[in-house]
Amino acid sequence: MAAGVAAWLPFARAAAIGWMPVASAPMPPPPREMRRGQDGLIMLNVSGTRFQTWRNTLERYPDTLLGSTERDFFFHEETNEYFFDRDPDIFRHILNFYRTGKLHYPRHECISAYDEELAFFGIIPEIIGDCCYEEYKDRRRENTERIQDDEENENNNDLVLPELSFRESMWRAFENPHTSTMALVFYYVTGFFIAVSVMANVVETVPCSSGPNRAKEVSCGERYALAFFCLDTACVMIFTVEYLLRLIAAPSRYKFVKSVMSIIDVVAIMPYYIGLVMTDNEDVSGAFVTLRVFRVFRIFKFSRHSAGLRILGYTLKSCASELGFLLFSLTMAIIIFATVMFYAEKGSSATKFTSIPAAFWYTIVTMTTLGYGDMVPKTIMGKIFGSVCSLSGVLVIALPVPVIVSNFSRIYHQSQRAEKRRAQKASKEAGQSLVCKINPTFETQHHHLLHCLEKTTRNHYSDSGMKTENDNHCCPLTVTCSGFPRAIDSRQFQSCWVPDCLRNSQSYSQSGFKDSTVDTLHTHTHYIINFIVLI
Amino acid sequence: MEKKLDSISARVDTSSSSSDSVEDELELSAVRHRPEALELLEAQTRFSRKELQILYRGFKSECPSGVVNEDTFKEIYSQFFPQGDASSYAHFLFDAFDTDQNGSVSFEDFVMGLSILLRGTIHEKLNWAFNLYDINKDGYITKEEMLDIIKSIYDMMGKCTYPMLREETPRQHVEIFFQKMDKNRDGVVTIDEFIDCCQNDENIMKSMQLFENVI
Repeated sequence: MAAGVAAWLPFARAAAIGWMPVASAPMPPPPREMRRGQDGLIMLNVSGTRFQTWRNTLERYPDTLLGSTERDFFFHEETNEYFFDRDPDIFRHILNFYRTGKLHYPRHECISAYDEELAFFGIIPEIIGDCCYEEYKDRRRENTERIQDDEENENNNDLVLPELSFRESMWRAFENPHTSTMALVFYYVTGFFIAVSVMANVVETVPCSSGPNRAKEVSCGERYALAFFCLDTACVMIFTVEYLLRLIAAPSRYKFVKSVMSIIDVVAIMPYYIGLVMTDNEDVSGAFVTLRVFRVFRIFKFSRHSAGLRILGYTLKSCASELGFLLFSLTMAIIIFATVMFYAEKGSSATKFTSIPAAFWYTIVTMTTLGYGDMVPKTIMGKIFGSVCSLSGVLVIALPVPVIVSNFSRIYHQSQRAEKRRAQKASKEAGQSLVCKINPTFETQHHHLLHCLEKTTRNHYSDSGMKTENDNHCCPLTVTCSGFPRAIDSRQFQSCWVPDCLRNSQSYSQSGFKDSTVDTLHTHTHYIINFIVLI
Repeated sequence: MEKKLDSISARVDTSSSSSDSVEDELELSAVRHRPEALELLEAQTRFSRKELQILYRGFKSECPSGVVNEDTFKEIYSQFFPQGDASSYAHFLFDAFDTDQNGSVSFEDFVMGLSILLRGTIHEKLNWAFNLYDINKDGYITKEEMLDIIKSIYDMMGKCTYPMLREETPRQHVEIFFQKMDKNRDGVVTIDEFIDCCQNDENIMKSMQLFENVI
């Protein structure tokens, strides 16, 4: 029930008097009236912007912050108003919700800021009105996807595992070539050989000038057969070695074998081996020639090297339904027009439209506006239908194309975003370290606290073992139980806090444990204390 | 892809139909009504100034144009009875509130009606109820009129009642009512019979006081 209608409840109750004379049974007693606060004006001061409303308006929704007694916590007695240290622009929408019963989402606001405000005031976002709900949900989904992408990228890039087994480091080298020089070299070498192999395939078929005493021209492949064979062998050897190495390094061999890239690899090298195995038998030489066609699939190995190619493939996969629709509608149109053209041209003599399947070729060439001219209609009806065919071809092809284009654009921008994010990260972190100064009061109080703990337990903190990679991290007490060394921001301790035990001892080592067993016990106790402090 | 096409065509349809309703709304907003001055209403009704202010705020937030037409009235009233069909009873109520019979209930009509219902004497309340039941306002309640009223009240309950609503229940109810109220057995109930009878019935008297402090 909308809030406004609730204002009409007294009317509905009063109108119930009309039932009384007709009633066959006595009425139930009325409910006891709740505490009736006087309906006065409430002043809400949100960061200086003053809002006023009736008390009743706010109390329409008693399970939100403003409608319940929770707002008393924000009552500021000196000025006799409720003070909230929040964003006044977003608060306007929240207050409108109380007034009209409909929550709106302003498009220019950031979605996470808006969500935070809603959470603070205890309003669930599901009550956003229909007018704004779709926009809100879309923005929210985009944001979560973006955050997930970021996290994935971070995990991929910043993961500094202590030790990788040789196999794992090899796999990492294969997947991310920029991690080490070896990987980069390998990456470029394979790329070079793919290019060489493809060029060899192409050049093989070019006719080389034969000697003056030869009658027919031979292709370069036949002339320099041995050279090409050696080149091919070298390339295939490199590809085979690469494939085997990837197979060994893969964490899940089964998944690797199933993946598209490995299938492409196999298809690229198989023809060579099959060619080796097969003899120069006349029967199978035809098949052998066909097999050489598969060598051109080596060009797809470039997709490991080019992100754009991968995106194209991914787009085509995600637009499968649009492509299917395109194909289906084209097939329908082709069949219709081919039939029509065949029957239209049946009358004319010496016509090329000998059958409907023969007319398929004409229809396809006309609909895609190629117009080779090898088949042209001669009758008037044929020409009329031919022109209709070409016009409709343009339309049918133009329809699904924008959908595919927009998909491609979205996916491309998403991948670009990942690259941009990486580039921005460095400058972002530099900026953050300037802005995020440690609060000195906090630090002194925190140190005092730890000092008290030390005194209580009569143990001391050790500096060793509290080193972390995140030296720029500005939130001192991030409690992450993932890896113990990250638990405390070591920068604070290193800069200001020199524990008593180490102050006393001379050997203040920056890394590693101390040697003696007593000291090891010492440091172990420190670890345990650190852990307990932070849990 | 098909879903997208459907939604686009639906949107085109609704936009063409909503243009009609926009025109309707423009017409209605031309019929704006400003209520009489607060002092006058204070004098005419038994509400205090503050109460009138609260009532008007609620009225205006639901009906910004200042008058309620029958459809809006039915809609508002139906929201309180979601299981059943409150439209027929709302129609009778609307007629009872619309004292000048001009097809719309202004704030004055609304507040006068409420004043009687909530702050009126028993006599006035019973008078109002009689007016509600007397659909053609001829001074007599016939059995048919009563049957309509009772049926509309039962309609508000909806289908899922316990015990199940039977066909003859409203008719039986009407018989009981007439047995009680129709003293001279002439088949109609006049205002005097009605008021007399109700004043003698303890239950009815008690229930009339039920909603005294609703505002």
